[in-house]
Formats: sequence, structure tokens, C-alpha cells
Amino acid sequence: MRSHLPVLRIRRRYIAFEVDCEGPVRQSDLAAELTLVQTSLWGDKGSSLNKIRLITFNGRFGLLRCAHSRIKETRAALATIYSINGNRAAIRVKGVSGTIKAATEKYIPRLSLSNAENERRRFELEGISGWIIHSRGREIDISPDEKNETKGSDTRYLGLTSFDLCGGCYYADGTADGVRQGYNSIQP
Amino acid sequence: MSYYESCIHALPEGSDSASRLALVAKRLGYSGIIICNHTGYEKVFRPEAVLGISRIKVAFGIEVVAPNPRSLRSKVTAARGKYPFVAVHGGSEEMNRAACENPEVDMLVHPEEGKKVLGIATAKAAQKNQVAIGLDLSPLIRLRGNSRSRWLQIVERNIILARKFDLSFIITTCASSRLDLRAPRDLQALAEIAGLESFEAEEALRFPGHLLDDNCRKWLGPGVEIL
Repeated sequence: MRSHLPVLRIRRRYIAFEVDCEGPVRQSDLAAELTLVQTSLWGDKGSSLNKIRLITFNGRFGLLRCAHSRIKETRAALATIYSINGNRAAIRVKGVSGTIKAATEKYIPRLSLSNAENERRRFELEGISGWIIHSRGREIDISPDEKNETKGSDTRYLGLTSFDLCGGCYYADGTADGVRQGYNSIQP
Repeated sequence: MSYYESCIHALPEGSDSASRLALVAKRLGYSGIIICNHTGYEKVFRPEAVLGISRIKVAFGIEVVAPNPRSLRSKVTAARGKYPFVAVHGGSEEMNRAACENPEVDMLVHPEEGKKVLGIATAKAAQKNQVAIGLDLSPLIRLRGNSRSRWLQIVERNIILARKFDLSFIITTCASSRLDLRAPRDLQALAEIAGLESFEAEEALRFPGHLLDDNCRKWLGPGVEIL
């Protein structure tokens, strides 16, 4: 005998998301933060209706399940995530789908972790100086020498792009934009 | 689509450069952002770099902070000629009132900071001078527990009052880094918690774009435009 009649089946939605965080994120930390955030915003009763469950997480992209009628509430709960394990973080919803397969194929890229490059290079421009922590595509994160540069926003790093560096840093060993030319270097 | 995020703080006040904020906002689905640093931080780090980023409009405005109504008036008049978007950092009751009584002001941001609801006289003045009320959602993201519920109480009162006097809203996060930015649909969901209806929230996200277009035209006087 089937356990559920088709009309009584629980309908679900799967939300694909990306975590934008200053440090590395573990799945257990993310799950703990999710529980904390949604009980704080919706209370115990609301959380039971939302039925949020973390399905997969690979360090950057992940998938979670929620009730099909409570997507808006789940989005609001995800938007209130401010930090994960002490690091500033934000969750960006990539898309919503009805099955795990569709959500994974549509919204989660297969090669997602390998393209962040860690490099220790110096950066000095218009009164801002520091070490380049990592760069991904056009985005460059910088750890400033003066820690009170970031005191207004609780973040640890300064975020710049390659457009900021273009033409400003002629002496930074070799390249005009101060970023190493390499396998994922920034093409002007 | 044409959603706008107004009142973002860029380097040196925030921790991200204007071009980085534009890049992240474009990915989140905005069609434009307005960078409004507080008075004292007007000189944005490399504003010309945003030209490299396509398909997003970046405007530079200012958020005026003043200790008293008198200096507010002079600062707003000075800023109006230079910037297409002038916001005022509210807080105390007299500053809210002074901002709403000035027709040169576009938006009053966080009027609930002094933990007081807007007065009737302030709302009437805002209606007359077409000052939009900025609904800053960052306390909803950052605070937890009792302080957040207090904040929600004040904001709900403000929304009821603004609806009665037919004021326009602008939803913002007052972001000072890319991690404070939220997608337009996330902001809609948050604004519905604060008490806005869904269509009001959508309108509030579009409103800065219309305001910016109006401000960029050359007005000779009220209702007279140079073509």
C-alpha cells in the first residue's frame, strides 16, 4: 500500500543559493546559522511551517528544501543571515525549482571551487595599501594595512575590481594593472 | 525590471569601491545604484572605474548629515547644485521635520533612528514637498530579538502614517559593503515583514529610478523645463 495519496503528498521547492563569505564556510556552520536565523525571525511555529532543510553544500553553492507555499518567508529568512561562524557573509538566491535534479542542473555550476586564486601580493594606490588576499575574475579582495579602513562596515577585507587598478600601478612588478598575468588573470 | 538601490556607501566610507558595488549589484539584478556617501566622505575612491561596467547605471548622490536644522538647510542648498540625488540622514524629531520642510530634499533616510515615530506635521510637510521616506531595512537584517521587534513596531507605525498621507517609499539597505547588499526580491520579502504590501514594495524599489530621471532634466522652475 502506498503511504501517501497523491493529493496528500507534501509539495516542496528547492532553492539553489550561493554563499558570499569572507572566510571558508563549513556545512555544519551554515546549517546552525540557518536554524538560528529562522527561529529568530519566524519563531518555532513559523519554522515548522517553513520546513527548511539543507540538502547539499559544497563550500560555495548549495541547495535547500522548503515548503512550496513559503518561498517568500524562506527568502526573507535567508536574507537576514549576517555572519557565519564569525565571518561576514551574505546568501544570494540563484533560483527556485521543484526537483533537486532541475535545481542542480539549472543553477549550480559544476566547476565552482577551483577558480579562486590565493596570492600574496602588495597593493598601494591613492592612500590605500595592503595585501591582495584573493582574486576571482574581476574581483579582488584586499587586506588593508590600516585596520580602521573597514571599521564602518564590519568587514575584514576591502573589495575592489580590476577596473580600479587599471592604469594606477605602473611599478607593480611588470603589469600595468598590478595583478599577475596568469592562468586566470584579468584580461583588459 | 529597472530596480534601483539607493543610498549605498562606497570606499572610503564603506569597504568596497564603487565599481565592486556596481558589479555585485548587477549580478543581483539591479538596473542601477545610487552611491550616497555621508557628508565628509564625498570624495569616492576612483569613481571613473564604474564606466568599465556595462548594463548598470551608477549615479553619485550625497547623504547630508547636519547637527541642526539651520546647517542642514545650507548644506542641502550647496549639495543640490552638485548632485542629482540628495538624501538626508534623519534621526531626531527636529531634523526629520527640517528635512521634510525642504523641497530640495529627495529622500529622508532612517527617520526612526531616534526611536520615535514620524509626527503628523512632518508627514504633511513631506507630502507637500514630495520628500520620499527611506525605509532602511538594515536593522531587520542585523538586529535580533527584542531590539528588532521594537524597530518593527516603530516602522509599522511610520508605514501606516505614510500610507495615510500618500507618501512615496524607497526601500534601501544603506549598505556599506557588498555583503550588505540584498537582491530586489529578498528586499521585497523583507519589506513585507515590515508591513508593506507586495505592490508597494515593488513600486518602492523602482521609485529612485524615476526620481533620478526627473532630477537629471533641467528644470527652470516648478513645472517649467528647458528642452
